[in-house]
Amino acid sequence: MILASVIVVLAFLALFFILHVVKGHHATGRDLDQLASRLQAVDVNAFRNLIDEREEEYLREHLPQREFRGIQRERKLAAIEYIRCASANAAILIRLAEAAREDPDPAVAQAAEKLFDNALRVRLYSFRVVPRLYAGLLFPGASLVPSDLADAYDTITRQVVMLGLQYPTRGMSASL
Amino acid sequence: MLFLRYYLWVVPHVLLGIVVIVSFRKRLYQTLPAFFAFAVFQLVQFLVLFTVTKFVTPSSIHIYVWLLTCGALIGALLQLAVLYELVRTVILSRTSLQRVLRPLFAFALAILVLASAVTSGSLRDVGRERIMNGFETLDFSSNLILAGMLVTILLFSRALNISWRSRATGVALGFGTSACIGLAAAALRSGLGKSAFVGVDVMQMAAFHVSVVIWIVYLFLPDRTPAFAGSGLAKSEIQFWEQELQRMTGQ
Repeated sequence: MILASVIVVLAFLALFFILHVVKGHHATGRDLDQLASRLQAVDVNAFRNLIDEREEEYLREHLPQREFRGIQRERKLAAIEYIRCASANAAILIRLAEAAREDPDPAVAQAAEKLFDNALRVRLYSFRVVPRLYAGLLFPGASLVPSDLADAYDTITRQVVMLGLQYPTRGMSASL
Repeated sequence: MLFLRYYLWVVPHVLLGIVVIVSFRKRLYQTLPAFFAFAVFQLVQFLVLFTVTKFVTPSSIHIYVWLLTCGALIGALLQLAVLYELVRTVILSRTSLQRVLRPLFAFALAILVLASAVTSGSLRDVGRERIMNGFETLDFSSNLILAGMLVTILLFSRALNISWRSRATGVALGFGTSACIGLAAAALRSGLGKSAFVGVDVMQMAAFHVSVVIWIVYLFLPDRTPAFAGSGLAKSEIQFWEQELQRMTGQ
């Protein structure tokens, strides 16, 4: 009976989740101006520096072990914050690209298609990388972050600029 | 109670008939063929089972149960096809990252199949007849997989911030309602035994009724992605973009 009760509770939780997501789907703000205002600035170069293995190696060689660990911890926490910002921006850009894809101009639709894919890629990377960075806090010596996240984010920033020339993106690239 | 049970058995299928007719007229068999096939199959199964109940006697009840079990098996396979259709239309067809995303859904499905095998094996049998227990296991497993996959798909699209077309949302919501209540019903039947059969059946049929109503509502709504609002690009903004592009390409 305990297992049956657990399943009943889980089933109702799943139902509430489904209802909540569908309700959110109808209620989500689709105002592009409002979306643009939620973008946060991300310094890709600073992020690259934080996940640079050579930089890490340099610090390891020149700092006492204890100090190195403390600094690495700070660097990883900062990197997590950067990734969170990039991921949140990517989520907004997915919406922007969805809107632009409906544009009758094929050039705009094509640019939006590319932006959509890359924003999706950044989002997927971030889900993969953040747990690895947290794992890196436990094992400071291990190198756990792929540099392709910064490359992908760089790509979408450029694509937003390209798209902005053809479609109203409300000053988004300035925030990226 | 008998009237309520007949109402909940017959009326949702009459409404499902409307779903099939409207789907046919709106050519839904082209965009969501698995859902259309599922609706048609449910109707056919209902007609067969309803006819059989008029002729079946206590000694030949096993014919009804066999038909019910075979129907549940085909229905479960069609539900899996609907799930694939939802994943394809909502996520996979809209991106070139199919190679990355497809294995994630396959992995989720494998986990759910494993979980359904373990959990259904741990649940108590509902009766002495093997075919009835087989039907219950099938019902529980298919509902667990369906509910779990729907949660996974919704979780995924929410995490990636992908919006759904309204008709796909309706299909998912309808299946989600019926699968979650069906899952709870199967667990309750196993936990409470025969004394709760009627009440639990009524609950499950009511959930199916709600699902069909949801499908009808979404069928009559226009099938569109969420609308975007906001002002157009001003001339000063275009100049800004040009400067921005020059700045970026000059880097």
